[in-house]
Amino acid sequence: MKETKLGDFEETLLLIVGILGEEAYAFKIAEEFENQLERSVSIGAVHSTLNRLGEKGFLTSEMGEPTAERGGRRKRIYEITGAGERALKNSRDIKLSLWSQFPAFSDLKFNIGS
Amino acid sequence: MSTQPPKYAVRFLSFFLKQELQEEVLGDLEEAFYFNIQKKSKNRAKLLYWYQVFNYLRPFAIRNFSTPNMYPVMFSHNLKISYRTLLKNKTFSLINIGGLALGMTVAIFIALWIYDEYSYNTNHEHYDRIVQVMRKDISPDGIRVNSSLTGGVGVELEETYGHYFEHIAMTFFRPETELLVVKEEPYREMGYFFQKDIPHILSLEMKQGTREALENPANILVSDRFAQKVFGKENPIGKTVSINGTTDLIVQGVFEDLPENSTFGDANFFASMALIYNENNPYTWNNYNMKAFAKLKEEVSISDASLAIKELMKPYRDVEDDPRELFLLPMKDWHLNSTFEDGVQVTSKKVQFIRLYGLIGVFILFIACINFMNLNTSQFQSRGKEVGVRKAIGSARGEVINQFMTEAFLYTFGALIISLSLVYLFLPTFNTVAAKEIMFQWANPLFWLVSLGFSLTVGLIAGSYPAIFLSSFNPIQALKGRLRQGKKSERFRQGLVVLQFAISIVMIIGTITIHQQIQHAKNRPIGYEKEGLITMTGSRTLYQSLDVLRSELKNTGVVQEMALANYPLTTTLGNNDGFKLPGASSELTTSFNTIFVSPEYGKTTQWELTTGRDFSRELGDESANIIISESAVEAMGLENPIGQEIEAKYEFNGHNRFTIIGVVRDMIKGSPFDEPKPLMLFPAEFPMRYLFIRVNPNIPLGNAIPEIREIFSKVAPEHPFEYAFADNQYLTKFKAEEQTGVLATIFSGLAILISCLGLFGLSAFMVTQRVKEIGIRKVLGASVTNLWALLSKDFGLLVLLACIISIPIASYAMNTWLQDFEYRIQIYWWIYGIGIISCFLVTMLTVSYHSIKASLANPVNSLKTE
Repeated sequence: MKETKLGDFEETLLLIVGILGEEAYAFKIAEEFENQLERSVSIGAVHSTLNRLGEKGFLTSEMGEPTAERGGRRKRIYEITGAGERALKNSRDIKLSLWSQFPAFSDLKFNIGS
Repeated sequence: MSTQPPKYAVRFLSFFLKQELQEEVLGDLEEAFYFNIQKKSKNRAKLLYWYQVFNYLRPFAIRNFSTPNMYPVMFSHNLKISYRTLLKNKTFSLINIGGLALGMTVAIFIALWIYDEYSYNTNHEHYDRIVQVMRKDISPDGIRVNSSLTGGVGVELEETYGHYFEHIAMTFFRPETELLVVKEEPYREMGYFFQKDIPHILSLEMKQGTREALENPANILVSDRFAQKVFGKENPIGKTVSINGTTDLIVQGVFEDLPENSTFGDANFFASMALIYNENNPYTWNNYNMKAFAKLKEEVSISDASLAIKELMKPYRDVEDDPRELFLLPMKDWHLNSTFEDGVQVTSKKVQFIRLYGLIGVFILFIACINFMNLNTSQFQSRGKEVGVRKAIGSARGEVINQFMTEAFLYTFGALIISLSLVYLFLPTFNTVAAKEIMFQWANPLFWLVSLGFSLTVGLIAGSYPAIFLSSFNPIQALKGRLRQGKKSERFRQGLVVLQFAISIVMIIGTITIHQQIQHAKNRPIGYEKEGLITMTGSRTLYQSLDVLRSELKNTGVVQEMALANYPLTTTLGNNDGFKLPGASSELTTSFNTIFVSPEYGKTTQWELTTGRDFSRELGDESANIIISESAVEAMGLENPIGQEIEAKYEFNGHNRFTIIGVVRDMIKGSPFDEPKPLMLFPAEFPMRYLFIRVNPNIPLGNAIPEIREIFSKVAPEHPFEYAFADNQYLTKFKAEEQTGVLATIFSGLAILISCLGLFGLSAFMVTQRVKEIGIRKVLGASVTNLWALLSKDFGLLVLLACIISIPIASYAMNTWLQDFEYRIQIYWWIYGIGIISCFLVTMLTVSYHSIKASLANPVNSLKTE
């Protein structure tokens, strides 16, 4: 059994994969990451993490269609697995629970649909 | 719009990236690149591409470069194939390994020699704290550095500056061999008269007795080798050793021999300086006849102490005299860095030699490596098929490279073993030639580390080009037998041959020049007759009976004449300045070689008097007359030297004013490579230390010696009859140069030998490659001469090219070398001629062996194959 903990960066990438859907491949994920978080990241770092998430069973991937702008090369499209979704939910629940127990923030409303 | 991702970045990425990731990653990065190029500049996009590539250097993405499970199998397979290849081409392998072994042998010898030079004096325990006190004479003409000091310096150092030093000891400036008499047997031994602290400074290892024994001037310390030689198995302690047969000393200590590569390595005894000086504190400030050595206290730095004693002499010198400063020379600089020019340390001759030989070693090794590369790449025809088969059944290029590298390493280690045995075998010979006592460094881990590292490097250098070249073959071409070596690789190989021969030719020309220079100096007129001249060191017992001895010797008819002088004939010791022509405003700047001679000196040495007359006993008091040499006449600027008077600052013979009565041709007493030293001879009738005997030229020396010995035993029975021949003494002056000559001969011989070995192999291969062509040409009527010319032409051209390259290099190098000699040859064109022609002939002979063999072969045999 591989380690199934979810790191912060991993969690973010997993979410972005979910957001991008059909367009979830390394370059797009990196670009989306930069847009959403306003932080730069290298494709290699993203790819490396995606690879690790795949090993943990949170992601699957398959090769997509070749595109002209990639010099006719195919891209690897990632998709969240059931285990991935469970891990995300689990992580959110733990954090929400923690947030609500923090007295200073306890009266804040979180604008998150459950 | 042809902007594309940077080519090298793409290539680099494909190199390290896992095969299965290539497509998606290259795609992603390319997409990112075009995305960036729309928003940013072209260069910015390219830079970002590189950034992305480097960010893929992560463990998950890098391909697995090793094939671990296959490695041992492939390795043993490679070894096996290497071994078979070695046996298949026996001559070839022999040339290959032999050439490399020779090159390595030379390199190891040179390395051992350099190591020996650099480890000079390191045997002393406190090597880094031992210093010699040196003197700087500062005058308007420049700064001169000297090691001679006055006795007062030592005393002052001890009394005023004692807090810097643990020990200080002075010795006489000019040590000489001394006559030690033990049980009435005379031994001439080298040793030093020192103040009592010298055993502590040098940290002598005492085998018997203590280092303190020298505190009593009646004691003597002897070396272990001397004790073994003289006392054998007896206990040397307490035995009597008599110096010069006059002063009896007691052996109170035996020290372990100092190694040959140390400043005092020749010492067979240490005795107290007080013996000769009669007092332990020779407190003088006008006689520079001492050297001083010291060991600093642990916490004192050499530069601090050096600075502190700088002005030590100032209070004891006249204010208007040029200043003299002192400084400390650390022991590490004694041997290799004690040459000064205008007060600054400059590269000494020894260091130059080390560099020169180091360079030669590197060159020879380089030549051997070139051979190795050339021979291996020239095998491309036969090895090409092998490479083809390997690749066809799935070898990657890396594995083929492995195969060839394994071979290269196997060969180099074979060569290393051979060369180590050669070094072991020839080390005694090498020591004789180089006048060294170099030990084989069996126990030195550094030696093994360097040897192994060295052969690894050689294997890598020599093996990499063939490996890369041979592994690059296209398997289809190779298997079809359609391998053609590209123009590029052929050029490369030819370039290597040219380089190799250029180096060899430079070395040959160098060798010839060195021998010419030595011969030139040997043939130089030296101003006296050195054949048939016996020299001897006098002793007190002899001085009493000199007149009797002289008349007795002459009476036998064996001896023509006998004379005395205060310095040997073959040194330029004894120099003085302060001479002045009467009426001249200033002193002559020249320093003259001033020696005292008995009136028969001229007749004994058979000098050549050009004008004036010789000294004579019959003409009464001659003490104010002098004879000078031609170069002295020149230095004084005299037209008519005879009768000319000259004034001296210091007294000689009780006079300050002398008349020149004769002029002799310059006598070459010092280095035969230098300009003659201006000579000034003063007549003297008192006993002097050096004795010269002129043997009747009609009587063979072998017969003369016993007769002379008989007279000596009759007249001065206690004087040990020890003699030397002036011509032999003179010959020792060539030792260093002859040593260079012998080494140069050996090295250049080896260089040309190794080069020819390579050429031999290369020509063999060229001939086998063209064997069909030769057959067809022969069938069509070509003569043996035609074929020979055809096959040898290429190599001839290469060697000619090498000659053209080598001439300017050789001429520059040899002119630089010759600059060191005042008396030197010109480099004549024929020296180049001989160098080139001999090299050319040897090459042609080497190449012709195979080309003639191929030309003579029956064409049927070569054409019917396959």
